[in-house]
Amino acid sequence: MSDATRAGEAGADAGGDGSTGRVGRQRSTVSGWLEARALAVVAVVTGVVLLVLFYYPVATVFVEAVVDDGELTFAPLLGVLTSRFYLVEIIGFTAYQAVLSTVASVALGLPGAWVLSRFEFRGRETLRSLTILPFVLPSIMVAIGFVATFGANGTLNRLLSSLGLGPVNLLYTLPAIIVAHAFYNAPLVTRMTTAAWESLDARTVETARSLGASPTRAFLDVVVPQLLPAILVSATLTFVFTFASFPIVLALGGLQYATIEVFIFYRVQQLAYADAAALAVVETAVSLGLTYAYLRYEARQQTAAFGAGARPAPRKRLVPGSLDGLSVRETLSRVAVFGYGVVVLVVFVAPIASMLLSSITAPDGSLTTRYYEFLVQRQATATEFQVKPLPAVLNSLLFGVGTLLLALPMGVVMAVLTTRRYRGRKVVDALSMAPLAVSGIVVGLGLLRGLVFGFEAFGYRFTVAGAIAIVAAHAVSAYPFVTRNVAPLLGNLDPRLVESARSLGASRTRALWDVELPLVAAGVVAGAAFAFAISVGEFDATVILATGSNSYTMPVAVERYLGRRLGPATAMGCLLLVVTSLSFVVIERFGRGSRGV
Amino acid sequence: MRRRNFLKAAGAAGVSAFVAGCSAEPVDDGADGSGSNETGNGDATGTTTGTPEGPATLRIATYSAFVDAPSSSPGAWLKEQFESEFDATLEWQTPDNEINYYIERATQGVDIDADAYVGLDTNMLIRVDENVDGELFTPVDAGDIEGRDAVQSGLEFDPQGRAIPYDTGYISLVYNENEATAPETFDGLLDPEFEGDLLAQDPQSSATGQAFLLHTIHAKGEDGYLDYWEQLQQNGVRVLGTWEDSYAAYSNGEAPMVVSYSTDQVYANEEGEDLSEHQIRFLNGEAYANPEGMARFADSANADLANRFLSFMLRPEVQAEIAVRNVSFPAISDAPLPEEFAQYAKEPETPVTFSYEELQGNLSEWTDAWAQQFASN
Repeated sequence: MSDATRAGEAGADAGGDGSTGRVGRQRSTVSGWLEARALAVVAVVTGVVLLVLFYYPVATVFVEAVVDDGELTFAPLLGVLTSRFYLVEIIGFTAYQAVLSTVASVALGLPGAWVLSRFEFRGRETLRSLTILPFVLPSIMVAIGFVATFGANGTLNRLLSSLGLGPVNLLYTLPAIIVAHAFYNAPLVTRMTTAAWESLDARTVETARSLGASPTRAFLDVVVPQLLPAILVSATLTFVFTFASFPIVLALGGLQYATIEVFIFYRVQQLAYADAAALAVVETAVSLGLTYAYLRYEARQQTAAFGAGARPAPRKRLVPGSLDGLSVRETLSRVAVFGYGVVVLVVFVAPIASMLLSSITAPDGSLTTRYYEFLVQRQATATEFQVKPLPAVLNSLLFGVGTLLLALPMGVVMAVLTTRRYRGRKVVDALSMAPLAVSGIVVGLGLLRGLVFGFEAFGYRFTVAGAIAIVAAHAVSAYPFVTRNVAPLLGNLDPRLVESARSLGASRTRALWDVELPLVAAGVVAGAAFAFAISVGEFDATVILATGSNSYTMPVAVERYLGRRLGPATAMGCLLLVVTSLSFVVIERFGRGSRGV
Repeated sequence: MRRRNFLKAAGAAGVSAFVAGCSAEPVDDGADGSGSNETGNGDATGTTTGTPEGPATLRIATYSAFVDAPSSSPGAWLKEQFESEFDATLEWQTPDNEINYYIERATQGVDIDADAYVGLDTNMLIRVDENVDGELFTPVDAGDIEGRDAVQSGLEFDPQGRAIPYDTGYISLVYNENEATAPETFDGLLDPEFEGDLLAQDPQSSATGQAFLLHTIHAKGEDGYLDYWEQLQQNGVRVLGTWEDSYAAYSNGEAPMVVSYSTDQVYANEEGEDLSEHQIRFLNGEAYANPEGMARFADSANADLANRFLSFMLRPEVQAEIAVRNVSFPAISDAPLPEEFAQYAKEPETPVTFSYEELQGNLSEWTDAWAQQFASN
């Protein structure tokens, strides 16, 4: 990082982007050239990585929906679109549950953003780091935690019966699916909104107040419009994710509540690719269409009004020193915070605690350490073709850091490119979001056929697999998060800031590095945490590209350790939980310390 | 200093991973022995496949639980025993897509670098035959496989004689007798007494789910099974995605009955669990049998060695060991099983199974019709 900065300074000395004078030409170095064109270079690299690890593999699958024996046909697609079963029972239901899940996620996530950005309390930073934790949990762990919490004999029902209340049957119903989706996605809402809230300039509110606006008025007229892009982008992402939801739906709802992704998976299993591809095309069209609609909205919202950067209002202390002088309003807001805390305990803490508990509970209910002993023993005695815990941890961390290093520049550059004004920009933007909108099963199949089996050219067969390919694939699915965290904030910056820097001789890259990034640091750090989380939690691409026996990650190990007894898998899941919790805290501490980059 | 060393090492690891990860090889034009150095097998040093000198490498493909289950799995033991006796290295391959991985390779015209597959069933064979034009597996002459005749004839499932059964399992109900006593018959499951009591699995993605669906088709007939499931659904049956999902829910007391294996008590006993929570019920006195078979890839460059491996798998003492470690029943009748295994592994009076011919052309239609009905209600 420091080397890059030095190289950048040399480049700036050498006349920035090279167009401002000939004096520096002799001193201009390769690094100076690179610095001036870093944006272009990263953009090209991003394009190549996307093409090789996403567009080409996915195209090999999608082509099945429209080509049969070399002939162009739309039969499979028409088959899906004219089937009442697929249209109403499957696609209709999928959209319905996704809408409900999105509403629930936003409702559950927004108060979290309010608490984290407006109140000061012990452990706030750590709590903020941990909001992303649900994101990395393998679905089987969440299912185990949910059954143990909300099941017939679960914690919730035991609590209710001790209060003399009747049992609730939450499992295998639509609410179970929706709450689980909120478990995964509310943290996303919280995180993105918190980042926006923390970049909000307090002076805009002060101005409104000084002009006579009530606190409520100022909030509605000044704060909400600035938060709205973040809220809507997280809502859009939540819809896209829950629209493609699959294991959670089956584990907590059952096949009665099957989504489109369930049927894509089944068709792929049966090698009925035409049908699978047709379903996936419909799924992608819905997701991308929605993303595009959001992006058009976002473009209209960008007002470029907020100049000199964020000076967030000071946070209030959650636990005031004394109750004297506390207004009714402020007292009520604290009561609301504690009420929200109870909901968080039920929805987030209880399932994770249940999972921890099941890793130390023997079948007869007594405490045991044998599942952790299993991990130690596996580490010591496993053969080379078996999965060991420690390499899984190290691989996850290594891939996570690699993904971070690759996805951050990719995502930031895409954010810069898509906040410029040009025709068709929203289409490019929507396409750059495609990795989030395409079925994970289809991507996996594409990677297998396109890269692991390879392609023939010039009499050679080229194959791509192994650690680098895994990191690149993770970066492809992670960079849209960086883009979507950074772009709205970047769009809100005053373009005059960049223009001033440029007129003073800074290259475009230097202006980005020195002026823009520090102002949107909160978004960059949020994006970095997402990138790391995506990499740690990713499963499909990892198992497919890791055809060797030594590139497995923690979620792969969890899956392998699943058996008739849940213990070994939950113990591995808890290891995953601890390792990733620590990582997130480190990322955010480090990110804050270095102003985001 | 230490940090620098670490960075250097990490950098070197990154570079070597890149070298091992991406490759370009001349396209195989059918010459012998080429194309076996496919990337990513953890075998970066090349291979001695097919060379007469030195120990040969035998590559056996299987599902991951066969070599890497958290409880016990036969893989490591088989490798050790085989290598100690034969001058060969046994390599396990466990691609995530299992048999589909090899079907894909065959249909995409990519070399298959494994010699045999362990873990085939009737449904997989049908999928192979429907999707691969040429020959993926090859019939093996009984004379080439020692002990081939000892395989129980009831387990044979490949009319073309490619797959050789090596073990079998029975899919049955497992129930907790403290909560409910499972009914004796399929009709009994419709009794209001059992409302919401049964957990099953999606036949589209789970072997146990598929076996249970086929068992209902066997019991109720092709014309009656959808009606039966309609009633089963009205009585609150839950169809979850995988066996793991449903067994986890069962273990948490979510329902007193689950579709599982008739060897459930073997594990429960090993874990010292209360066996009353692991009672086995064979509905109508039957259970759906799912024999597992092994077959040699047609392109195997090590046909002789592969044959010796198949023979090795059928030896009585190996059969007993597979049964214990894979918790399944042996394919031959005289495997020397330990007494405890025989005590806790339950066998139905009447094993039920559909033949290759009965399933061919029907399996996907039956399952599709079932899935559409079930997801619509």
